[in-house]
Amino acid sequence: MKDYIATIVKNEKIAENIHAVTFDLGEEPKVRCGQFGNISVGGTHLLRRPIAICKTEGTTVTFCYQIKGEGTQKLRDLEAGTKLNVLMPLGNGFYVEDNEKKIALVGGGVGVFPLISVLREYYGDKIVSAYIGYRNKGAVCGVEEFMKATRFVGVTDDGSYGEKMNAVQAFQADLEKGNRPDVVLACGPTPMLRALKTLVEKENLNCYVSLEERMGCGIGACLVCVCDQTNGKKARVCKDGPVFNSRDISL
Amino acid sequence: MANLSVKLCGVDLKNPVIAASGTYGFGREFNELYDIGTIGGVSTKGLTLEPRLGNPVPRIAESRGVILNAVGLQNPGVEHFIENDLEWLKSTGTCVIANVAGKTLDDYEKICARLSGLVDMIELNISCPNVRSGGMAFGIKPETVEEVTRVAKKGAKNTPLIVKLSPNVESIANNAKAAERGGADCVSLINTLTGMAIDIERRRPIIANNTGGVSGAGVKPIAVRMVYEASQAVKIPVIGMGGITCAEDAIEFLMAGATAVQVGTANFTDPYAMPKIIKGLNDWCDRHNVANVSELTGTLQLNGR
Repeated sequence: MKDYIATIVKNEKIAENIHAVTFDLGEEPKVRCGQFGNISVGGTHLLRRPIAICKTEGTTVTFCYQIKGEGTQKLRDLEAGTKLNVLMPLGNGFYVEDNEKKIALVGGGVGVFPLISVLREYYGDKIVSAYIGYRNKGAVCGVEEFMKATRFVGVTDDGSYGEKMNAVQAFQADLEKGNRPDVVLACGPTPMLRALKTLVEKENLNCYVSLEERMGCGIGACLVCVCDQTNGKKARVCKDGPVFNSRDISL
Repeated sequence: MANLSVKLCGVDLKNPVIAASGTYGFGREFNELYDIGTIGGVSTKGLTLEPRLGNPVPRIAESRGVILNAVGLQNPGVEHFIENDLEWLKSTGTCVIANVAGKTLDDYEKICARLSGLVDMIELNISCPNVRSGGMAFGIKPETVEEVTRVAKKGAKNTPLIVKLSPNVESIANNAKAAERGGADCVSLINTLTGMAIDIERRRPIIANNTGGVSGAGVKPIAVRMVYEASQAVKIPVIGMGGITCAEDAIEFLMAGATAVQVGTANFTDPYAMPKIIKGLNDWCDRHNVANVSELTGTLQLNGR
């Protein structure tokens, strides 16, 4: 974990309401797939924006973000050359065991971007199937990355790209055809993760999900971004997560 | 190099910059970024006799220049703190201030008694706006401020007792005096101001608790005014806080009457805020030929009318 003074090298729209910003950190960071950065946009914004790391290449790191409020609007309008503080890498990230050869990625919405980091870490070593759901054709992005997976199923809520279904339904359809993974890695909206949790529990599959929550410090001190564990205790999404075994948390 | 050390109720602090309760946990996470032994003190996450799970999420929201939070005193309980964190926190060399809360007068006495002699100071949270029972209820009226202080002091015995004051009151001066009458060794202020932020698409408050405590840069002028009023009203030392982001902000509070300051929200914006403020204090003192930072306390001169 380090608070980098990061220089924007590229900041562009990649889909409807989704932008990608690439920073040069000045040195090569050590990052696990599924970790995130806490980006300071400055000015009257006292909270940083916690955003999943999509990819790292040499000394650069790319984050993809949805324009949601004033902070992300401000980030969108920043040009190459601007310097921002980026505290990273944060959180635990995804981890795949050596004996888990077949990975299923299930993602929806902005949850697709941390899964790109997983794909980049494991393609070549593992058999990766990606089930990715978008709202509509305009929201489709990251396809050039997902095409590198062994199998890529892209679907939309309205059928304007791929079949009309969600990512969990696409994954279930493949399961029913006998394409069973050793581990499922997922990120997306809570209703999607909830449906997936029900499915993997029924199918007795090992599944890790990455959660999103409004954060304060981003490093585990303030207890703002908690989730409920099945043991009745709370866990910190920023420090104990954001990746949890789906068995260990209630959604 | 200016002398940044201050004496607070007989306790020596390396410098007057203390981490504010609830923004810093028990210090472990920030110690991964820098040696927390270099800061004046740590006021711990608010402790209660029994563990508390806190409020539902979302617990935080942002508004221009401020944030709102309603964590609801999630904490592992005082016994867990004593067993797992206290020795480590003391070993860093920082001043350990246990922030405590309770539901009843009896809770306050018991938790203070449990921590008496184990920590450098105890800070009484009677002003948390985010829990339904107790807490803030004691912090509103001078009579209950005095009563809870007196009971807590009985438990704290010789361990210096700081009473953290709520700004959501009729008269901060009267409440500061009430704490002093009750036997407080020090008062700290301001806790957060009660506020609300609304998600207009959903027509609902952003925070699950509906209301939250407002803190951050935007509250600073209110806090400086209240620290001035409180320090004029009492003889015991005052710890100032509310929106401190840089050394210059901290100096305002010292001039207004504070002996030390606490830094909270700024730790979220910049995790290195506190070491930067300490360095900035030294630089400012050097530039202004101030040999001891403690000389700044209460040096404010009001404009003539």
